[in-house]
Amino acid sequence: MAKVIKKFIEGNDACVDGAIAAGARFYAGYPISPSSEIAEGAAREMPKHGGIYIQMEDELSSMNALLGASLAGKKSFTATSGPGFTLMQENLGLGIMSEIPCVLYVVMRSGPATGAATKPAQADIMQARWGTHGDHNIIALSPSSVQDCYDLSLTAFNLAEKYRTPVLFLSDEVIGHLRETCREREFAPEEIFNRVQPAPGTTQEEFRPYDFSGTMPAPMPAVGDRNLLMRTTGSTHDEKGEFGPGPANINKVTHYLTDKIDKNVDDITIVREYKMEDAEVAIISFGCSARSSMSAVDILREKGVKAGLLQLVTIWPMPEKQIREVLQKVSKVVVAEMNLGQLAKEIRSFNDYGCKVLQANRTDGVLITPQQIIDALEEK
Amino acid sequence: MKTEIILSGVGGQGLVSTGEILGQAASIFEHDLYATMAAAYGSETRGTFTKSDVIISDQPIGCPNIDKANIILCLAQVAYDRYVDTLEDDTVVIYDTDSVVKKEGAKGKHIGYPFRSMAIELGNIQTANSIALGVMIKQCGVLHADTCKQAVAARFAGKDKVIELNDKAIDFGMSLE
Repeated sequence: MAKVIKKFIEGNDACVDGAIAAGARFYAGYPISPSSEIAEGAAREMPKHGGIYIQMEDELSSMNALLGASLAGKKSFTATSGPGFTLMQENLGLGIMSEIPCVLYVVMRSGPATGAATKPAQADIMQARWGTHGDHNIIALSPSSVQDCYDLSLTAFNLAEKYRTPVLFLSDEVIGHLRETCREREFAPEEIFNRVQPAPGTTQEEFRPYDFSGTMPAPMPAVGDRNLLMRTTGSTHDEKGEFGPGPANINKVTHYLTDKIDKNVDDITIVREYKMEDAEVAIISFGCSARSSMSAVDILREKGVKAGLLQLVTIWPMPEKQIREVLQKVSKVVVAEMNLGQLAKEIRSFNDYGCKVLQANRTDGVLITPQQIIDALEEK
Repeated sequence: MKTEIILSGVGGQGLVSTGEILGQAASIFEHDLYATMAAAYGSETRGTFTKSDVIISDQPIGCPNIDKANIILCLAQVAYDRYVDTLEDDTVVIYDTDSVVKKEGAKGKHIGYPFRSMAIELGNIQTANSIALGVMIKQCGVLHADTCKQAVAARFAGKDKVIELNDKAIDFGMSLE
């Protein structure tokens, strides 16, 4: 039996514990509310595990430090929120283009700008998807409990390593600061995915740091590897990692980078269904709002309404198949989220079934209540 | 089984600590219980209204914010005033008679003690919250004294005097009729 430690801790602390248990050994960041406890925890815990914590001068350099450390072979992470996440966007794009694994914990708060810096929101769904420029794809996970903050950290690092890409961990102020029962399980070595290495004996002649032929990335040795020279660039490159601006190559790389995630959507997608088996109406939600949605389902069931919940744990790529199944199955869906309808708009784009899609939105920095979701559902 | 407890007062009264002790006792030292604690406090840490929503349940907990509490601890008038009109007949209100004046005709089952002066008499004003915790354990059947004391020991590990003082305060709270 794997060792399990029971704790009663904040979501942000569980993120740090989860990241370290998943093998992360480098943190660079610039503290910002409501993610600061992750920086604080990383500063305290990383040295105990032979890891490195660096507080950088800003979020631009933090993001670059992550990429550098990851290129050197370390599993790397940072934590940020709102404006800090915006500052990371440019080099998040570099991470996507150069295929450098890393995890960004984004603890969403009310915005834009300084906004209400200590209050929760879930309004960075689209910044997560489209914040960096150009056609690209991204993986984003959203925890709804302190337990998730621990367990999904492993998932986030595994996906980053497997698909050689930055992964976003879209938490929010409610989950980040919620103290909750958490069972921290020691991860077994076979559960932890480490980036694929070139086959032993691979020569420099044979070695290609990139492979655009399929939907899985090339092996990734560390920069500084004694035998292989690992080239990388944020400019469109060929499979040797050399500048490759020809039209055919640009097209190939663009398609490869999006296909890498789209074609593996089943492997990346995590959803949870709560009382959906016989549901006639459904709530679709994520993160902190999923908690209130769960309570709303219980209250509705007590009143005799056959309600269910589809919780999106994977936010990006959007779990289209599972959303379509719900839209086909029920007569009414309420999308519960702490923004003005960023997820609802996505859900509607899949609604080819005449399902009534309603919204429960909250943007005042207070956690959406079960009653508010019920009211939205009962709206005529 | 689901118990929803609001711990309210002003900053500096140790309410977040009390919430953590309840949460740790339930999560770590009791068997198979879940607990959540959502704290809200002003940006000034001392003297302004603060509250923690603590939920203890044998089932996974949905929304961590409390709508209708089973038990409300009020250690300041500002906190009592905020909740007094939301009370139902079976809501238990544990309040500090040194700082809170009970509203005439208020609903709920009121249990009042002069926690502040009792704490001073016990040797430290900071233990008012732990005396109240003792009352909650004994008179409301929230968790068990031994698991709460284990949580105190874990939370204040290495600070033997603090542990001893809080244990004494919990025992004193439990001795009140």
